[in-house]
Amino acid sequence: MQLSGVSFRYSRRGPWVLRNVDLDLHAGSVVEVTGRNGAGKSTLLRLLAGIVRPSRGSVAGRPPVVGYAPEVFPVDQPFTVAAYLAHMARARRVSPAAGTALAERLGAARLLGLPLGDLSKGSAQKVGLIQALLAPPGLLILDEPFAGLDEQTRAELPEIIEEVASGGGAVVVSDHQNQLRGFPGARRWLVADAAVAALDGERPPRAGAEAGRAAYPVIGRNGDRAPKPDAEDDGERERHAVIEVIVDADEADEVEQKLRADGYLTRRTA
Amino acid sequence: MIALVRFKLAAYARSHRLLQPAIGLFVMMVIFYSSTVPPGKELASYADSAGLLIVVFAWAARGLLDTEPPAQRLVSATSAGGSRREVGAGLLAALAVNLGLAAVAVTLPLLQGFAAAPSAGDLARGAGLHLLGLSAGTALGALTSRPILPSPAASMLALFGGYLALLLVSLTPAGGFTVPVMPWMRAANAGTLDGILLPITAATLFWSAAGAAVYVRLRRTRP
Repeated sequence: MQLSGVSFRYSRRGPWVLRNVDLDLHAGSVVEVTGRNGAGKSTLLRLLAGIVRPSRGSVAGRPPVVGYAPEVFPVDQPFTVAAYLAHMARARRVSPAAGTALAERLGAARLLGLPLGDLSKGSAQKVGLIQALLAPPGLLILDEPFAGLDEQTRAELPEIIEEVASGGGAVVVSDHQNQLRGFPGARRWLVADAAVAALDGERPPRAGAEAGRAAYPVIGRNGDRAPKPDAEDDGERERHAVIEVIVDADEADEVEQKLRADGYLTRRTA
Repeated sequence: MIALVRFKLAAYARSHRLLQPAIGLFVMMVIFYSSTVPPGKELASYADSAGLLIVVFAWAARGLLDTEPPAQRLVSATSAGGSRREVGAGLLAALAVNLGLAAVAVTLPLLQGFAAAPSAGDLARGAGLHLLGLSAGTALGALTSRPILPSPAASMLALFGGYLALLLVSLTPAGGFTVPVMPWMRAANAGTLDGILLPITAATLFWSAAGAAVYVRLRRTRP
């Protein structure tokens, strides 16, 4: 699957959320999308899923079956879990039994008879995950899937991701908490400054020019401004501020990971 | 896509949102048919009903399209294989609900309201006018639904204001640039509906299709 010169904004005069993004997503790959809140991660996921269409540029080669789990599963619907999953299974033209089997695997069988409105946040996230997996996805998109999940599902999720990937599906996970950092072979895309940069050496072709410095991206730009040539960066850098954050030594790794996932430059002192 | 239409209809029926336009419909029916329509006036009565129920059809369409939470629309779009199908399923479901309401509006006076049964031709014309009314109403409802107008106050204002504007403009010489509601009511009352049936059908379908096309276009960036 390939994004070529993709730009997106929500209205004709609105700011560009993403600008001139080129990305390749290969079958079987796992990508973790990071970036600050509001950087455009969810918009990128929606473009990949085919929920919104690019304002400019094109998306080619999207697999026919896309599984999408939203950041917050919408429980405000007048169905039981079982009835909801049966409806979603029919929309995907798969047997309603698929939902029951997945629910059992994720320890959610007891939820099936409950109204969606009675679910806790973690249980609702599970239902969101199950509906995304009803048909074996060629592209699985999970928006902040770890939020609110119980330990069992949190442990199960990387296995599920691995299964989808080894079955030839691409998996894209937006992960603010950087939970997939230990996942073997996972690539990382950083969304910042309306651009997407690959952080793992597998650089997207056109964004590649920026990717070299993207590991320590310039922060504080408006989202409506395009990534500019290097010449302008000096001016931007002068606007940086240094904040000293003092943490327990035990937590240092975790805090640093989180800040880096959010696209900030960190420096460690003893 | 049909599975998604059924899902949307099931959610709508269970959400009790259908009650609002249903009550609106029955209030209008009571007003229209509280005194018996004399023989020969059935078509005029149908024409008024079709024109005035546009606002009820719009309300029902808006309610149906607003039933799904925004995040569920994203899930539905991916389940159905693309946002176009989700948008299409929403419009089809809204049309289905309005077909049901229109069927009630056409059938009810046959049981209670008309002094004599209308001729088959007038019944067909009456049903046809209700089809025109529901197509205009569905488009108006879609254009005032939450993805397009997120503020409920603005949406209600646009729905009722849009309907009133449509009625008023159709009274003026600029009436050719809107759904010709008043012309069809007047022609039916004067017994000259057949003479303008073709142009009013074409104009109504054109404006309804234009409204639906704008809705579909706007939904491209408003998932």
